[in-house]
Amino acid sequence: MRGGAARVLAGALVVAWSLAPFLWQMITSLKPVAEIGVLPPLLPSRPTLEHYGAIFAGYPLLRIIFNSTVVAALTTAGATGLGALAGFALAKLGVRYRGPILGGVVAVSMLPPIALVSPLFLAINAAGLRDTLAALVITYVSFSLPLAVWLMTNFFRSLPDEIYIAARVDGCSALAAFWKVMLPLAAPGLAATALLVFIFAWNEFLFALSFTSTAAARTIPVAIALFPGLHEIPWGEIAAASVVATLPLVLLAVVFQRRIAEGLTAGAVKG
Amino acid sequence: MSLEARRRRVAAAFLAPAGLVLAGVTLFPALGVVWMSLEQRALIRGAPEFIGLDNYLRLVSDPRFWNAFGNTAYFTAVSVALELALGLAVALLLSRAGRARPALYAVVLVPWAVPTIVSARMWEWMYNADFGVLNYLLGGEFNWLGSPLLALHAAILMDVWKATPFVALLLLAGLQAIPRDLYQAAAVDGARPIRIFLGLTLPLLAPVIAVVLIFRTIDAFRVFDAIYVLTGGGPANSTETLSIYAYKVLFQTLEFGYGSALAVVVMLAVGLAAVLYTRMLRGVS
Amino acid sequence: MSSIHESGFSTAAVSRFSSPGRFTPGRERRRVRSRLASLALLVVAIVALAGCGASERDGAARPDLVFKHSKLFGDPAAFDALMAEFTQETGIRVRRETLPSSSDEQHQFYAINLNAGAADFDVFAIDVVWVAEFARAGWLRDLTRLLPPETRAEFFPGPMAAVTHEGRAFAVPWFVDAGLLYYRRDLLEKHGFPPPRTWQELAETARAITAREPGLYGFVWQGKQYEGLVCNALEHLWSAGGEVLRGDEVAIDSPENAAALAFMRELVDPGGVTPDFVTTLTEEPSRTIFGRGRALFHRNWPYAWGLFQREGSAVKDKVAVTVLPHHPGHDSAATLGGWQLAVNARSRDPEAAEKLVAFLTSARVQKAVAAAYGLSPPRRALYADPELLAAQPFLAELAAVMESARPRPVTPLYIAISQVLQAEFSAIVSGARPAGDALPAAQAQMEEILAR
Repeated sequence: MRGGAARVLAGALVVAWSLAPFLWQMITSLKPVAEIGVLPPLLPSRPTLEHYGAIFAGYPLLRIIFNSTVVAALTTAGATGLGALAGFALAKLGVRYRGPILGGVVAVSMLPPIALVSPLFLAINAAGLRDTLAALVITYVSFSLPLAVWLMTNFFRSLPDEIYIAARVDGCSALAAFWKVMLPLAAPGLAATALLVFIFAWNEFLFALSFTSTAAARTIPVAIALFPGLHEIPWGEIAAASVVATLPLVLLAVVFQRRIAEGLTAGAVKG
Repeated sequence: MSLEARRRRVAAAFLAPAGLVLAGVTLFPALGVVWMSLEQRALIRGAPEFIGLDNYLRLVSDPRFWNAFGNTAYFTAVSVALELALGLAVALLLSRAGRARPALYAVVLVPWAVPTIVSARMWEWMYNADFGVLNYLLGGEFNWLGSPLLALHAAILMDVWKATPFVALLLLAGLQAIPRDLYQAAAVDGARPIRIFLGLTLPLLAPVIAVVLIFRTIDAFRVFDAIYVLTGGGPANSTETLSIYAYKVLFQTLEFGYGSALAVVVMLAVGLAAVLYTRMLRGVS
Repeated sequence: MSSIHESGFSTAAVSRFSSPGRFTPGRERRRVRSRLASLALLVVAIVALAGCGASERDGAARPDLVFKHSKLFGDPAAFDALMAEFTQETGIRVRRETLPSSSDEQHQFYAINLNAGAADFDVFAIDVVWVAEFARAGWLRDLTRLLPPETRAEFFPGPMAAVTHEGRAFAVPWFVDAGLLYYRRDLLEKHGFPPPRTWQELAETARAITAREPGLYGFVWQGKQYEGLVCNALEHLWSAGGEVLRGDEVAIDSPENAAALAFMRELVDPGGVTPDFVTTLTEEPSRTIFGRGRALFHRNWPYAWGLFQREGSAVKDKVAVTVLPHHPGHDSAATLGGWQLAVNARSRDPEAAEKLVAFLTSARVQKAVAAAYGLSPPRRALYADPELLAAQPFLAELAAVMESARPRPVTPLYIAISQVLQAEFSAIVSGARPAGDALPAAQAQMEEILAR
């Protein structure tokens, strides 16, 4: 059927368009040095893992991956936790100015990072936190809070009020009711929030670039942006580092695509 | 204490941690930027001094500012339009994908998952005029990143690739929220697909489209990472956006006063766009 | 930050969230809770670790001096030996810390830390164009004492001018760089052309030879919008008698400059001498093109020589260097690069720091560093030293170039001026604007900067 064939073709185009750049980077990362800047051939004649070896040997990449992981994990924990607290309050505790508060929170998230870099940078210097992971975590938690608060508010709102009331009637304090009853029920929301915050923290560039200056606190995006050494732009190594930096996220996205979709749309997807 | 008061105290306690972090790390710095924009604060000139609106006066007559503003506006307009069109096409495809949908969904998500910097490096590699794969496949010798006419468009293409998944997924959710029986009714009435699309689908999608427009416009206007890595602002400042200009002023020439004024302008522009779009959104829905 | 919005704020208009609010059985609840508890423990542990993030710097026993510089390209043993010598002679221990190699990054690092009053490094290597800026900001210690007139005379005039601010010396030249013309000696001989003396000769030779050698580019250089473009453009306009600054006066808008820069554009279009993607090239990409044998002429710094001559290079033993061409009636010009040693104005032990600087810039140590790493010393006499020339024969070719290497405008506002020059030179080279439009714009912007 003509419509079906057209759809398959369109599907193939979309797949090619979505994957091609990343695939090309993977192919490049497997090419021996002599073949990298040379086209044809498109594919490596003898695929090699030398670039992957090189990026870990000659460069503190493990340390940098560790930094990124720590920062992303701490940010996720912080933002999800604080966001859950605030979201719960906004959803269930009858806060009077909920609308304006949520609106304000969203508005804050629209501030351009470039506007905030310089005062934050001066503050972090003054606090003696330059070139530390702590500086990044604090900043990232704040920037992902609006999203976390928004998502958690919505998730909590969808839970029936009666559960919370019942827990309180049973004698739980608000905090206990939150911790023991409401939070586990919001697990899907927590998961979605955590995923999105993690991805944001992993990818963030501007603040990481401005607040760090050595490998002690550098994160992956900065490392890749500033990869070239003194001489020789090592395209093969940049490609390998790019693949290493991206695969975790791609895997996360693919495995948790449902959760991510829920978070992105915060709406039940029919069918 | 009354029940009301206790309730409010509990709520305040729950809200306080998030509120404090937001106020401290985002709100105060935003106010700080506004304050610094009223100062002459260049690191090499010693102590800052208050100069009122002089930075803004300088900004208004600064041709490089207007160049950056124009580049940013053009970049935003073109990339958002393309993302909307492509995203709608992908969303339509996904909505009819049937059993292939989970796999297709995962594939479509990949550009979104790739870190922006990695994406910039990937595209830089493909755009290489001498041995890039794009020129190889197209059989031409396009100076993608070195021609003042092409460079900004090269950046736009990269941004469209990165952001289309987000648009597509949102539009997909919107499409799926449209009740099936509306389509059935239209089919029974004998309406042609194109009429159904224009007369039924699009109007019902309008609220989602408006939301997409808001967020993509705001993000595109603030663009920094990708272009900084791709071209650094050149050639001939043809890819210098407002954020890149502000960054260079702040961190290369170390002029925190003027740089803050530039940043405030970006803030105002983004805020204005948000307000305008929200009005539009309310008008539409 | 953009992915925050890509991450789903858009719930506003999309259908209200309605997750399945099912009850989870008690066991499920307990599992979730214990998972949350262990996560919390993990978080605490990681926080403790994160605090140890950047504490490598604050070691237990602080050495007497901290010396920051960019990585030296080669075997570190030779430099370690020199540092050990210093410690033995003076009893001062030195810890060396390397910085990332990007000049911009280093500038940012220094500016940020020095402005914050950092005292955790004493001696540091700065680019030749930052001395005036840092001196004006008060971040550098006055080192005039280390450069009495007889010592000054031993250094090349270019670096001396670069380290002098308001009559005082704020840094001591450590090693220098200057632009060179590399060329394929084998191809010139094959087609019977001498090495070009003027820019016009270079263009004509390139056109003639590339017509007969398919797949060969004529002349590759650095044309991307960045600092390197300023270095290239200055070499053209200085060699035409043009200037950027004359004293305190902005002199960029002049007929000599317009002619020289128009010539640069003509190399690309209609010239056929330089490919149009020169506007994307920095040092390394252009070096790679020449190093693969695909170009006839190449402008670059001396570092490239070693790479062309190493084993496996496609152009080994086929390359020669000479001074850059000039326009008729004027002398060749090369832009000065290189690194100078400065002392932190807030150093905790300035006398020791000065001793280190004196040691590192002494003739003996500079000779040793040059021999081991191929860096070009700023002292004239070393270029006639037979031992050094035996270790690094290439230095013999550089003496004349270094003598006449010119610093970029020495002003605290150089970075702001450079941004203007980069944009306007890029406009000319990429064809966005002709020199007749770009130079007046540059003039106006530079005057505005200097007037601030």
